[in-house]
Amino acid sequence: MAGRANPWTTGLFAALILLFTGGPVLLSLLGSLIPDRVLLDQGSSLFAEGLNFDGYRYVFTGELPRAYQAENANRAMISDAARQVPASLINSGIIALSAMVLNILLGAPAAFLFARYLFPGKKLSFLFLILSPLVPAVALVTPIYIMLQSMGLLGTRTGIILVHTARALPFTVLILSVFFRKMPAELFEAATLDHCSRFQAFWRIALPLALPSIGATGLFAFMLSYSEYMFAMVLSGDAGARPVSVVMAALARNTDVSWSLLNTAIFIAIVPTLVLVVLVWRFVVEGLLSGSVKG
Amino acid sequence: MWEIRRFPVLWLLPALLPVALMTLYPVAYALWTSLHSVMLLFPGEPFVGLDNYARVIQSNYFQDALANSLAFTAAAAPLVVVLGTLMALFLRRRFFGVQVVRSIVLLPWVLPGAISAVLWIWVFHPSFGVLNGLLRNLHLIEGSIGWLTSPRLAFVSVVVAHVWTQIPFTVVLVMAALAAINPETLEAAAIDCKSSWRRFWYVIFPEIKAMIVVLIVYNALTAFTSYDLVYAMTGGGPGTATTLLSFQIWRESFSMYDFGAGSAVAFIVVLISAVLILAITRALPSDLFGSE
Repeated sequence: MAGRANPWTTGLFAALILLFTGGPVLLSLLGSLIPDRVLLDQGSSLFAEGLNFDGYRYVFTGELPRAYQAENANRAMISDAARQVPASLINSGIIALSAMVLNILLGAPAAFLFARYLFPGKKLSFLFLILSPLVPAVALVTPIYIMLQSMGLLGTRTGIILVHTARALPFTVLILSVFFRKMPAELFEAATLDHCSRFQAFWRIALPLALPSIGATGLFAFMLSYSEYMFAMVLSGDAGARPVSVVMAALARNTDVSWSLLNTAIFIAIVPTLVLVVLVWRFVVEGLLSGSVKG
Repeated sequence: MWEIRRFPVLWLLPALLPVALMTLYPVAYALWTSLHSVMLLFPGEPFVGLDNYARVIQSNYFQDALANSLAFTAAAAPLVVVLGTLMALFLRRRFFGVQVVRSIVLLPWVLPGAISAVLWIWVFHPSFGVLNGLLRNLHLIEGSIGWLTSPRLAFVSVVVAHVWTQIPFTVVLVMAALAAINPETLEAAAIDCKSSWRRFWYVIFPEIKAMIVVLIVYNALTAFTSYDLVYAMTGGGPGTATTLLSFQIWRESFSMYDFGAGSAVAFIVVLISAVLILAITRALPSDLFGSE
């Protein structure tokens, strides 16, 4: 079904998708390069004062943007939280990558069994897994806080990793088992004929074939952790373990922070993550579209 | 399907244990709280049975929030899955620049909720917003439209923003499911079916149905329990136009310090979510939840 369509409609659809998904972010990039007084002045052209990188310089070096040093400018429009963004990105990276790896390691074997085997307790354990995410996170914040406190994990990345892993696992298992079930049964029948053990069937046949799907699922676990806010806020405590979602929310809620500085912070936070996600996604798409799951 | 006679502890425990750890005690705690009067301002935590539930259900706030959450879910979840599936089908094509489009589609994903909210306020803001600016420049409107200040439009706006944040996940998984279809099936279909709609409905859709069901369930749950994006955009207003149930849990617990009532709302949410999931899986039977 690849590309026999009219190039004009293809172009139109592509443009619409780009506009919808990328538009708001493009605005943010523009906002980070244009001083507030130009942005908020409806009369003047957006580019009246040109573009400048002062916001970026401030975040990385601490040098105050020119706009805030001018006479009568409000010094309160600058916030230290913007300077926490790079460090919080590292925190987020560690937390989300750990949650992703743990999700695949812990979830893939279970998903494989749910997809391919019958065993006593299957229905019950599956039901438990898919019902557990029904409880809204807001209701669990207090008891989980108390629990992690007693384990001495408050204010650590480990605590947040543990919670994020557990929150994503039910979905990881569910999604992966859909992929495992889609694999052609003959493959595994051949494996049983060859006296492959269950582990060998999983490790040698299922895993390599499912690699792109595992990549897509891993991406899901990564993003769920990366953008999670409530647990991250309550469990991270002071600045030390704060991931980017918490720092960004602090910035976004601080009405004193200028638009351009906020947009700068947004952009600095987006770029490394986007690069990482796109790289993984490329690998996933290429694996998928080259048809490695042909069977 | 092969049979195993014993419960496969080694294979399943690694997945079940962390989930149990983060579910059993916290849920038991919340359940206990919902049956007791737990208020910060009053010492002692007497057992009150279902009083919290009765009190919560009778409050106007709750009824508004419930209606809003149901409407929000009914609007957002199907929209996300339909739009996401269409985009995924489209992005399987090869055309100049498709790599770029495939990457840009992921953008909404890398933004935490609070930030997505800021970006969408920037779009919908009545006086500084881009949307009103655009409409004004095209001379379609005079003055401004209150995207976030009129109750109905505010609701539409938060649905749009929520759909935006959830699209990438659906695109990723539908593309993955599409790619897992046996190419021979597709080739045969291309020969047999002339119309692309019939090809989708009779050949492609049955193959990705299980994934679509997972996505509808996931999106219904996410929409039904979401709050941070919407709260950051509108604060639940104007009035109670965009107050969602999860926000209601938060308000009862952490702003009224009535933890019993907060937990009661939470369990009503659990109950409704369970019914929702059941309804979805009944309406769209797939071999997903049974054992075939």
